[in-house]
Amino acid sequence: MNTANIELALNLLPLQLWNTLYMVFASAFFATLIGLPMGIILTITSKGHIKESPKTYKILETLVNIGRSFPFAILMVALIPFTRWIVGTSLGTTASIVPLTIGAAPFIARLIETSLKEVDKHILEAVIVMGSNPFQIITKVLLPEALPSIVSAITMTTINLVGYSTMAGLVGGGGLGQVAIQYGYNRFNTFIMIVTVTLLILLVQILQWIGGYIRESILRKRGKLSHD
Amino acid sequence: MIKTWLFTLLTPLFFWGCSSSKEGLKIIATPVPHAEMLEFIKPDLKAQGIDLVIIVTDDYNMPNRALANKEADANFFQHIPFLDEQIKQFHYPIESLAKIEIEPMGIYSKKITSLTELKDRGVVAIPNDPTNEARALLFLQTQGVLELDNPNNAQATILNIAKNPKNLKFIEVDAAMLPRSLDDVEIAVINTNFALGANLSPLKDALALEKKDSPYANIIAIRIGEENRSDIQALKTAMTSEKMKEFILEKYKGAIMPAF
Repeated sequence: MNTANIELALNLLPLQLWNTLYMVFASAFFATLIGLPMGIILTITSKGHIKESPKTYKILETLVNIGRSFPFAILMVALIPFTRWIVGTSLGTTASIVPLTIGAAPFIARLIETSLKEVDKHILEAVIVMGSNPFQIITKVLLPEALPSIVSAITMTTINLVGYSTMAGLVGGGGLGQVAIQYGYNRFNTFIMIVTVTLLILLVQILQWIGGYIRESILRKRGKLSHD
Repeated sequence: MIKTWLFTLLTPLFFWGCSSSKEGLKIIATPVPHAEMLEFIKPDLKAQGIDLVIIVTDDYNMPNRALANKEADANFFQHIPFLDEQIKQFHYPIESLAKIEIEPMGIYSKKITSLTELKDRGVVAIPNDPTNEARALLFLQTQGVLELDNPNNAQATILNIAKNPKNLKFIEVDAAMLPRSLDDVEIAVINTNFALGANLSPLKDALALEKKDSPYANIIAIRIGEENRSDIQALKTAMTSEKMKEFILEKYKGAIMPAF
């Protein structure tokens, strides 16, 4: 370890840590915004659910599968015109939020679909018998019942996005992953590599801890923690 | 491990095979374009009584080692920063005989037609891998766009920019992304192979191309002190002739430029 390395780290890391947080949280937010409705539609249109519609389900499922099959680097390149249309440029930190969002939305949609399908069928049948409309079923039963599991899904997506954001370096997005690759890996600077990876580990730990905390406090409020 | 041993054992055999079958001026080169260029001058040297033996390889470490071990008389595959790095690492007694050709980096733009039009706070895209980033910055320095803290730093990054009179914003992206980034930036510094891949023509489209004074021109390297051997002088003359210049321009159409 020498002072030049420490100076380099101080030069690079604060800004790039910020870039990582900015990319990860912004894209997690937008991905949830897109993924949540997709997950809900996937659930209610599935076989035997409240709004069964094989056609809608098939179309949406295909879309989700297409979104999930792109290697992320290719998705970034494929989305360049779309990104440029949305944020005005295809380069930089803000621009990389667009492909990160599009990459994460299908993933979160699938996780939310899984969460919603775990809601007890008997509760659903009961509210249907009571004459609730689909909107009420979704907002009053499905979402609240599945909330702890949805929180887990969002946490998991956010943590995945930390990994994805590493690829933002391809389009000049910066971030900690890019520092690890550009300075640590390509320039054989072990010190920088260790510091950035340590920061990433800490970041993931903190995200997991926050997600776990929110989930547990929801469960505790409902008095369910004991048998969860 | 076994591979390394086999390689160490077989390499001398290979060269022994070469040297016992033919006596001549032995030069190690990578296939394209270096071996092709050497093949082109082979008949001319033959006419002067010099038998040019071209040993083609794709390996980047063997040619300098073999040259230092006197298993060959010259090699033709590398640029000066690479040679410097190898000398630093292995202490080879090798020097450059002459710069021959360069795959020039170019400055490209869809917004401006000359570097003098470069606007204040314009965005400049450069490659993000170590060799190409330094090369791009050194090139921009020769164009008067910026100044580096150490003007010959072959490891420079954007952190080494000392003077940036136009307050340009530098953005480091993947080298293959650069042609795609042109719509979003004022200028981009692009390697010739990626420019060609994106249908940019170095000769027609670039605002500026690296010139023969660039350290990244590929050289013929020889052992120190052998510059005056008559066969090596003949090789140098043939490789830096007008005829060779025409051959390069004709065959590679701007992807490779003469550097002599």
